[in-house]
Amino acid sequence: MTEHRLMGPGDEGYPAGLYDLESPPRLYVLGETTSAPAVAVVGTRRSTRYGMSLAGAFGRALAGAGWTTVSGLARGIDAAAHRGTLDADGEAVAVLGSGIDVIYPAEHRDIYHRILDGKGAVMSEYPPGTPPDRWRFPARNRLIAAIASAVVVVEAGLKGGALITARLAAEVGRPVFAVPGDVDRPASKGCNLLIRDGAIPALGVDDLIAELELVLGKPPRRQAKANSEIPATGIAIDDLPGIWGCTPAEALGRLARMEIAGEVRRSGEVVIPI
Amino acid sequence: MYAATTSVALVGGEARSVEVQAHVGRQTEAFKLSGLPDTAVREAKDRVRAAVTSAGIRFPNRAVTVNLAPADLPKGGTDYDLPIALGILAASREIPDLRQAVVVGELALDGAVRAGSNALGAGVLSARYQVPCLVASSAAGEAASIPGATAFGVSSLAEAVELFRDGLEGRTPARPGEPVPRGAFPDLADIKGQGVARRALEVAAAGGHHLLLHGPPGSGKTMLARRMIGILPRLPVGEAIETAMVWAAAGRRRGLDTTPPFRSPHHTASKAALVGGGSGNPVPGEASLAHRGVLFLDELAEFPRGHLDTLRQPLEEGFVSVARRGMSVDFPASFQLVAATNPCPCGFHGDGRKPCDCRPALRWRYRSRISGPLLDRFDLIVRVGRVEAIEYAGQAGEPSSEVATRVENARAAQLARGQFNRYLASSAVLEESPAARGLVAAAVGKALLTARGADRVRRVARTIADLASVDQVEEEHMAEAIGLRGEWRDD
Repeated sequence: MTEHRLMGPGDEGYPAGLYDLESPPRLYVLGETTSAPAVAVVGTRRSTRYGMSLAGAFGRALAGAGWTTVSGLARGIDAAAHRGTLDADGEAVAVLGSGIDVIYPAEHRDIYHRILDGKGAVMSEYPPGTPPDRWRFPARNRLIAAIASAVVVVEAGLKGGALITARLAAEVGRPVFAVPGDVDRPASKGCNLLIRDGAIPALGVDDLIAELELVLGKPPRRQAKANSEIPATGIAIDDLPGIWGCTPAEALGRLARMEIAGEVRRSGEVVIPI
Repeated sequence: MYAATTSVALVGGEARSVEVQAHVGRQTEAFKLSGLPDTAVREAKDRVRAAVTSAGIRFPNRAVTVNLAPADLPKGGTDYDLPIALGILAASREIPDLRQAVVVGELALDGAVRAGSNALGAGVLSARYQVPCLVASSAAGEAASIPGATAFGVSSLAEAVELFRDGLEGRTPARPGEPVPRGAFPDLADIKGQGVARRALEVAAAGGHHLLLHGPPGSGKTMLARRMIGILPRLPVGEAIETAMVWAAAGRRRGLDTTPPFRSPHHTASKAALVGGGSGNPVPGEASLAHRGVLFLDELAEFPRGHLDTLRQPLEEGFVSVARRGMSVDFPASFQLVAATNPCPCGFHGDGRKPCDCRPALRWRYRSRISGPLLDRFDLIVRVGRVEAIEYAGQAGEPSSEVATRVENARAAQLARGQFNRYLASSAVLEESPAARGLVAAAVGKALLTARGADRVRRVARTIADLASVDQVEEEHMAEAIGLRGEWRDD
């Protein structure tokens, strides 16, 4: 495993949101931290299949729109959100309630390593080797709330970490989104409660992205996009040879490689970055 | 008194011999014709009588019975006029019986012999049975072009009679005709911009691949498709004859034209017009008339879906079976399918500038007219974008003749291997580099291609490598082939 770093306030790469906390903690970090704005996607561990698929869709959509996503590597919603982000080749940040080298739950080893293999980071305020004690998790949730520029609660019961995260987020001035659900479904009761208390209802993937851009503004496009030379508004396939200075045959080949790499997709005669 | 001559019937693309039996009896004057003749053959009676009289020969004023055997072969067209006339004259002992010659030709009332559609068939029988054939002089070159055929041309009934009386010894048979010079075709130089679509056209021509062009109205899909014929190599004489034989079965005379046929039936065409049928004698359809050439379906989505699905047999097997009246006839139909379509009823879906007015349900219904299995059979699916004004004012594109040279070279490489890339079995060893193989696997993994689509792509990649004169398919060839199969997805 690569060497972790210990960073504190003032260090380069230290998550800016943490300055909003009363006493910004020191952090153990693995992987790359960026200053890109992040959105937390959190929820109950006792999630429904519906909630999991929605969390995955949020993860993918947020990554696609250029947001970093933050979550807690827990079972249920957290894991689905992480996986969605990673599937879309996005930047995922996991904040642990244990030592940075203690993967809990152990079955999320794949997520942990995919984050480190990709563009994301794993962080914890506890020294390596710290076991995952239950009492540490609410404290970890305050970091998630602060690092993120907004918090999305996909599913939450009336008691549990997700509601704590939402409350802490509100305390540090982060907008809170919640997905409305059936009034008698345990995994939706917490969300519905949040909405009654003033959270913004997230009415779907597109709605969430649109609302986020309304509240926070558009995220700056990530670096990888600039390299592809395809503007966000798309470009006609027939214009590619001219831009790349190659023959149509070569342009078609290059386009196919980019499609396979998941960098662009075609829509009619236009190529659009993903 | 009885005599017989030999003539030809075309079944599918194949020539079969027909015995024209003539009997002149003692009864009072009559003229009967039997043996499954169609209307055109039945009318031969009047033409024959007039032509014989015009030639200055007495038409027997007795009971004349003519039978075309075997009776179960359907016979059509005007080509039986001459054999019927000669048969009757032989039966009434005006001329000697010349059973050993194959005779075809239409008679004019003044006794002139005109070329019908069966001259090639006569040549085929002449070669097969090693007997001379007698055809209209205007079609003698055609018949003589069949390897092994001995053809004699006559321009009038009188000349034919003379030939029968004097015998064929000492006469020089007709020389094989020169292939009809290729006419003028629209040139690719007329098309400005459209680099990607032009490239697709070249690759499709080189491998004989099926091509689907889609894009907004006015983008030049039809213009491009019509330029396909100008970049295809000429047909070898053998294939030109094959095509002409199918045409003859449809009652059309194509001659020795080495230009690949280009057929573009309208979308209102019936199923029978598309793949063949007809009441009574089975007649080949457009799919067979396009044999060895291009079948162009403009406005593909406007064709009724059921009609399009009848094309799956010829696309798969290279022939069409037409079953009629207890018999089933196979017409060859090995064509290259080129199709053009709008993406939606209004045509502007996916256009960068003009919005699409169609409701999604309507768009979906429009696309679903082209069944998945048919769509799967296209090797190249290419979006044709609208040409910008700037491009339009630009210089002319590369002329067809230059593209045709590259296409011809690529085809030569394929023929050296034995077959067009269109026909390559998916299991064929294609000599791909590991990187090329990996790329297509990755595309399938990312759901950019279906398994069948991947097979198509590999064949196209083979063609691209042929265009580059390379033995092994490299990753760049595969990448381009994948790029040329932008699935016609709803996006």
